[in-house]
Amino acid sequence: MIQVSHLSLRAGDFHVREVNLEIAPQEYFVLLGPTGSGKTLLLKCLCGLVRALSGTVRINGQDVTHLEPRRRRIGYVPQDCGLFPHMDVARNIAFPLRARGSSQRDALRQIMPFAEALRVRGLLDRSPVGLSGGERQKVAVARALAGRPDLLLLDEPVSALDEPSRKEACAELRRVQRQFGIATIHVCHSTEEAFTVSDRAGVLCGGRLVQAGTMEKLVRRPRNETVARLLHAENIFSGRAAPSDDGATLVSFAGGEIRVPGSHQGDLKLTARPEALRVLPDGANAPNTVRALLTRVDYRGSHWHLEFDAQARIVVHLRPDMVGGGLAAGRHYAVQFPLDAVHVLEG
Amino acid sequence: MRHDRSPDGDLPPVAGPHLHVLSVVSMGLLAIFLAAVLALVVADVGYTDWETVVGLFRSREVMAAIRLTAVTSTLTLMLVVVFSVPAGYALSRYRFPGHTLADTVVDLPIVLPPVVIGVSLLVFFTTAPGRWIEGMGFRPHSVAAIVLCQFFVAASYAIRSAKAAFDSVDRNLEHVALTLGCTRAQAFRMVSLPIARGGLIAGAIMAWARAVGVFGPLMVFVGSIRMKTEVLPTTVYLELTIGRIEVALAVALVMLAMAFIALAFIHWLSSGRRWWGL
Repeated sequence: MIQVSHLSLRAGDFHVREVNLEIAPQEYFVLLGPTGSGKTLLLKCLCGLVRALSGTVRINGQDVTHLEPRRRRIGYVPQDCGLFPHMDVARNIAFPLRARGSSQRDALRQIMPFAEALRVRGLLDRSPVGLSGGERQKVAVARALAGRPDLLLLDEPVSALDEPSRKEACAELRRVQRQFGIATIHVCHSTEEAFTVSDRAGVLCGGRLVQAGTMEKLVRRPRNETVARLLHAENIFSGRAAPSDDGATLVSFAGGEIRVPGSHQGDLKLTARPEALRVLPDGANAPNTVRALLTRVDYRGSHWHLEFDAQARIVVHLRPDMVGGGLAAGRHYAVQFPLDAVHVLEG
Repeated sequence: MRHDRSPDGDLPPVAGPHLHVLSVVSMGLLAIFLAAVLALVVADVGYTDWETVVGLFRSREVMAAIRLTAVTSTLTLMLVVVFSVPAGYALSRYRFPGHTLADTVVDLPIVLPPVVIGVSLLVFFTTAPGRWIEGMGFRPHSVAAIVLCQFFVAASYAIRSAKAAFDSVDRNLEHVALTLGCTRAQAFRMVSLPIARGGLIAGAIMAWARAVGVFGPLMVFVGSIRMKTEVLPTTVYLELTIGRIEVALAVALVMLAMAFIALAFIHWLSSGRRWWGL
């Protein structure tokens, strides 16, 4: 169990403040955040390369906040992999064993399970200089695992790869993480990566951990507009709330009025998942609808992407089998907002 | 001139003429400089003859000077390595109050006229700390004094070179080594030192070459006593003063050959171990 409590740190003028986080044994946690949000800094603090200002880091009950990096049993893979250019791949992977006093021969024998798990056995006598981005990343992970850490930290491990290789590399990382059963924190700014590998994810913005939870929770219930935008929410609307009799709230936006769950007041922002919205004929007598002009119809392979104009841009995703011949750009429709599709963001 | 170069290797040639104003002017000036240096070497070679060069190795004085030069420059090299590697590392890695001043002071012996170093040593040994060191057994007309002069002239080159070598080692690699179980000293020994090795060796060779060529401080601080404090530069001077120019030049040619070999080795190290840089 990894427990981070009220952790604050600083690098120059930039602060990471009051991070609270718990990661279960064997959990794969993805830390999402825009560039400059403090993700790398937080990772470096966890492995002891940046001193904490306050707060604690506990690993399996032991307070490691002020321990040297080598005593923390944390494997760290930096963004550029940090392979040692003067050693071949085998010696790179054997490095943590050599650093802890194993003989060269013993160390080279002990690395085989890690080289095999990461499928880099064929590269052992190669120099890291000539390796591809994917190969470098695998070697770096094998090296970090060879130190038998309790926690693995991966800083944008697949960012150097092209799109198809990224998915494959993420699947590999997930497989290896399960095989060794090691708690992992994986830093990235790609939601696709987070969906592929994570058990849970957290969003770091401006040095603060804004929200943590499963990716499904983050996407369905983003805490605020920053989180919603980071997770590529297509529909973020500004509206004005008025109380309703039944405990819900009436929100006027986009030239219409819809009910949203919960009690809210004044100006607010809300988000609606495009795949949960429905398109009905213009004038349909249905609750929670907004009349809107269909401006764009695109086929995106897995779904139809529809864009409506109703003083605000509304995006609807429909499954291919849900679109008949009737939808045409330039006509008006009623866009329905089911209650569970709408989520009010914190200010 | 083959074509443009990049640090990563050759680039394909850019479209357009190979000869343009920039290439003609820069290559022309380089050629003039090379011709001037070669003209000096050719003049030296032309003035002396093979017999004189071979004769050097039969002269007791010159052989003693060669031996003393080899011994003192080797001792200096050892002393320089002991100081320059940690000092260069400290300048590269640590930020401390007075860092810029320290960086500047390291360079002072490079820009000072060497004779000033000799005068300064002479004056220092009239002060209380200097007299104390003399009281401990240090003598001005000794091997130790020669080594001291050579050290002051040569150490700066090695420290400067060591700093540059450690600067070029990605600090993150040391950090990764710390997370992989290294102490700071282990990270230095297992990561930074081997990666910086080429630059460190180049700096040490440069320092050795400087030590071999030291003359000014020796004349002031150690003196030029035949068979006792005579190193090769002293031999050149002594032979000149008695009018044996061809012998002085023959010694100079021996030193030139040594310097050329040392510099060629440095360039070999720094150019990725390719002899012709092609």
